[in-house]
Amino acid sequence: MMARPPPDPQYILRGVGAAVNTLYFSCNRPDPPLLFSGSTKGAVHIWNLNTRRPEKVLEGHGGSSVIWVNTLSRETVLSQGRDMRVCLWPLSEGRGGEVCDSLYTGSVGFCQCSLLSRGPSSSLLAYASEQMEEVKVMELPSNVPVCSLKPDKKLGMVMCLKIWQPDAGEGPLLVAGYEDGSVLLWDVTQGRPLSSLSAHPEPVMCLDFDPGRQRGVSGSAENTIRSWALDGQQNLQQQESVELLNPGISQLQVRGDGKILAAAGWDHRIRVFGWKRLKPLAVLKCHTDMMLSVTFSDHADPTKRLMAAGSKDQRISIWSIYNQN
Amino acid sequence: MADSLQVREVLLGRLVGLPSLTANKLQTKTPPAFMPQQYCTHLANTILSVLEKTCKALRGGQDCSLGFVGQVLGKACAQGHTALVFRTLAPRLSAHTLSDALWRRVSAKLLENIPDRWMEAVVTGLVQAVNGPETLSRIIGNIVLKNPKARFVITHKFLLLQYHHKDCVLRTLLGYLAQDDERRPLLAQALRALCQAWSNSSAVKHTTVEQQLYVSKALLLSLSLLRPPEIEQQQEVLRQCMLSGMQCHLDSTVLRVRRIGMVVGESISQHMDTATARLSFQYEHDDETRDLLEIMKPAEIKPEPSPEPEIDVRSSPEPGVDMRSSSPPHPSNAAAQPDSDLDSDDELTPYDMSADEVQQKCSPPRYLRDCLDGLLTSEDPERVSACLQAADGLVRRHISTTKEVSVEFSKVLLHMEDKYSNPNFLFHRQRAMVALAVTDPIPVSEYLTTEFYSLNYNLRQRLDMLEVIALAAQELSRPVSSKSVATSAVSLVTPLEPSNDLKHWRQVVEERIKSKTRRFCKGPSQPPPKATPNLYAPVAGYFFFPLLKSYDRPQVTFDLMGSDHLVLAQLLSTLGLLMHLAIHAPVATQMGKALLDFVWALRFHFDQSVRRGVLMCVCAVFLAMPSQSLLQELSEDLIDTRAWLADVAETDVDADCRNLAVQCLVLQERSLKKELNPETHK
Repeated sequence: MMARPPPDPQYILRGVGAAVNTLYFSCNRPDPPLLFSGSTKGAVHIWNLNTRRPEKVLEGHGGSSVIWVNTLSRETVLSQGRDMRVCLWPLSEGRGGEVCDSLYTGSVGFCQCSLLSRGPSSSLLAYASEQMEEVKVMELPSNVPVCSLKPDKKLGMVMCLKIWQPDAGEGPLLVAGYEDGSVLLWDVTQGRPLSSLSAHPEPVMCLDFDPGRQRGVSGSAENTIRSWALDGQQNLQQQESVELLNPGISQLQVRGDGKILAAAGWDHRIRVFGWKRLKPLAVLKCHTDMMLSVTFSDHADPTKRLMAAGSKDQRISIWSIYNQN
Repeated sequence: MADSLQVREVLLGRLVGLPSLTANKLQTKTPPAFMPQQYCTHLANTILSVLEKTCKALRGGQDCSLGFVGQVLGKACAQGHTALVFRTLAPRLSAHTLSDALWRRVSAKLLENIPDRWMEAVVTGLVQAVNGPETLSRIIGNIVLKNPKARFVITHKFLLLQYHHKDCVLRTLLGYLAQDDERRPLLAQALRALCQAWSNSSAVKHTTVEQQLYVSKALLLSLSLLRPPEIEQQQEVLRQCMLSGMQCHLDSTVLRVRRIGMVVGESISQHMDTATARLSFQYEHDDETRDLLEIMKPAEIKPEPSPEPEIDVRSSPEPGVDMRSSSPPHPSNAAAQPDSDLDSDDELTPYDMSADEVQQKCSPPRYLRDCLDGLLTSEDPERVSACLQAADGLVRRHISTTKEVSVEFSKVLLHMEDKYSNPNFLFHRQRAMVALAVTDPIPVSEYLTTEFYSLNYNLRQRLDMLEVIALAAQELSRPVSSKSVATSAVSLVTPLEPSNDLKHWRQVVEERIKSKTRRFCKGPSQPPPKATPNLYAPVAGYFFFPLLKSYDRPQVTFDLMGSDHLVLAQLLSTLGLLMHLAIHAPVATQMGKALLDFVWALRFHFDQSVRRGVLMCVCAVFLAMPSQSLLQELSEDLIDTRAWLADVAETDVDADCRNLAVQCLVLQERSLKKELNPETHK
């Protein structure tokens, strides 16, 4: 049976004017669905997915590259820049794009922050701090520091992290990938590591965790994507891995329904895998330079779900893939 | 029994010849009891009953003579009934001799008294019919020590003069010699004789490969049967054999002979127990080498066949490797996750991912001169390999540019070395060179043929030149419409040996012969191909004649007629191919004449591959040269040619040479008939 040819993107957003480092959807809202993008020139574009034009452009990092964008309770946009700050922007109609608060992280690295929402008025933000291997967790919007996670062994710089609240158990957990290729699982409340896994020979470039299935995946500068799982004793166990033709993954993202995994590769391609067993499903070619980010939308209606990918060629492609049920 | 000699003779003749006599008289009405099958069985049973009576009589103290029985047995074997007689005789004898010492003496005495002229037949039959050395030694005892003829047959004739016997026969024979201490010196003697035969360089050159294989097997088997103190005694002989024997084996151009040399050399050096120097070669194992190594292992003990005469005693096939009970089917790949997960994963059907390829760091060149430049000056291995891969396509597409740089490009490719260990280096280089020769035949062929005779090329480069010429000629002569993906003599993952056009060649010749047979065809299933001009015919001369120019001028680095006979063999096969492809070309006549003159002097070359090449050329000439000129050319030498070909077909050592000679004769006959009877033969 002949396999179908890979799909084309639904549309391509142009106009960012710089490499697109990070993307974030906010579609579960009565207003028009939005896509936030952060670029290397320090601009955060807010794209209206109905008109496909940027509604607003937020410039607040003084030209430094924006490496992470997120929203805090639908009203505030968070952006992390390489100017060692995390800026908060209000998102209502009236006020223009001006920073209302900013947080000093002190980090000169590339590690993206991770946000855990604990309700309408409280969230936890995990970020890499001044000391390259340390992860600090802070509560927002009160700006109260919660803990600081520093590994005993020399693992190098922290490259990527994710914080989540497990269903069972008390405190949030955090998983971080380090420069020496290992992945560490931390207990945030107690501030100590629970288990570690030596996943890659190269630095861990990106990771993602699926709290629903207690499985995570990590990618690095080599050509393997490895998945690992948490067992009952909070230990990280190595699971399937898949070999790629070309080395280097910039970002990994598991879709909300846990069916597929998207990987943004340095070889200009987006690869889609089944999440259960990392079965290769598609290779999407559309960009002409290395991919930097990929993300899935949070539409309530599964058939409307989208995937967005940003690349160094300054374009954002929007795809609709594996949406039938 | 009457004592008169004459009566005995007549009686003997009638007894043994009864089947033929009755068949002569009664012809188609001969009753089955007188057919050889049943009669010989009956004869064997009678012999056995006589022997039983003899045993009884001996126990009773009476003297007996087994002379007549021996003569009957001998004559029956000499007349060709060996297999039938021993089929019955051997198992019963072996069963009797197992238990009874008297039977052993009786059977040994019987065989000792067989007249010399029939001894060989009897011993041959017996050795083939028994199932192991122990049985043989029980039956014939120490006959080999007492009877000189038997000794000659067993130690000399079987091992050195005949070579059609199977492995089990060798095992039986040499095992028999090894069993008894009195006979062991004969084993050592046999080993010495085998060593001498194996290491004789003229034997290696002039005997067939099958015989050499047989001698090697016998050598290895006797080596494995000797005990260490005896091997110590034979050290000198073995060492001499190993060194000189291996030298002539490894010098040979036939692969099988070289492999035999390597295996035997390794085994001898293992047995000689010099702890420091142990020979070891790298070679690919094939059936022959495995057989040779198998023979050194002790044979499996076969069970004694029951003494029923119906059972066929002829050596049952070796049990060999037991059929291992099929391993329990390994558990089906258990998914790491429970089964419920399997369903949902299969719902997502993958898209077509065939367009996914490894990303090249550098892009292939798009212009011919860029490509040439990259090959000449670039230090980057990826760029060089990308250029080499793209060369073939670029050359064929940009014809006018190619014609400007063809000779220079050929020069670069010819002198290129595989600096970066590119796995497909040879393949792409050859394709590129062939593309150059095809696109711009005249200058490139002039260049290659001149370089072939120049100084300071190594053998591999000269062989490459010949291969490229041959492939280019093939491609030029093929009609354009049927051009599929150009085949190459070098496969994509290259072997390290020089490629051999031989097989392809033989197919071509055979096809031609088949095509001359008339067939009642069913009608074309496809429309016949369009006629296109033969691109090879105009340039055939440029390819062919320069290769014949300076063959007899030995140079410092290249001696075609002397030690570089490997290149000579390849040159001959290339010339044959070029000749064959020139069929219908106007220059075919001159080519044929020149080729016949050239190969006439090489008919009796010592190297088999050269002789094979000569015969291929002759075949090609017969096929491609128009028959009138063929007849004119050959008219003086016709008888000589036929005599030479017939001689080769009968007596040449190499099987390929013999087959080719037969084909040449057939083709010659056909051409002659066509010329002499033009009306009857289309």
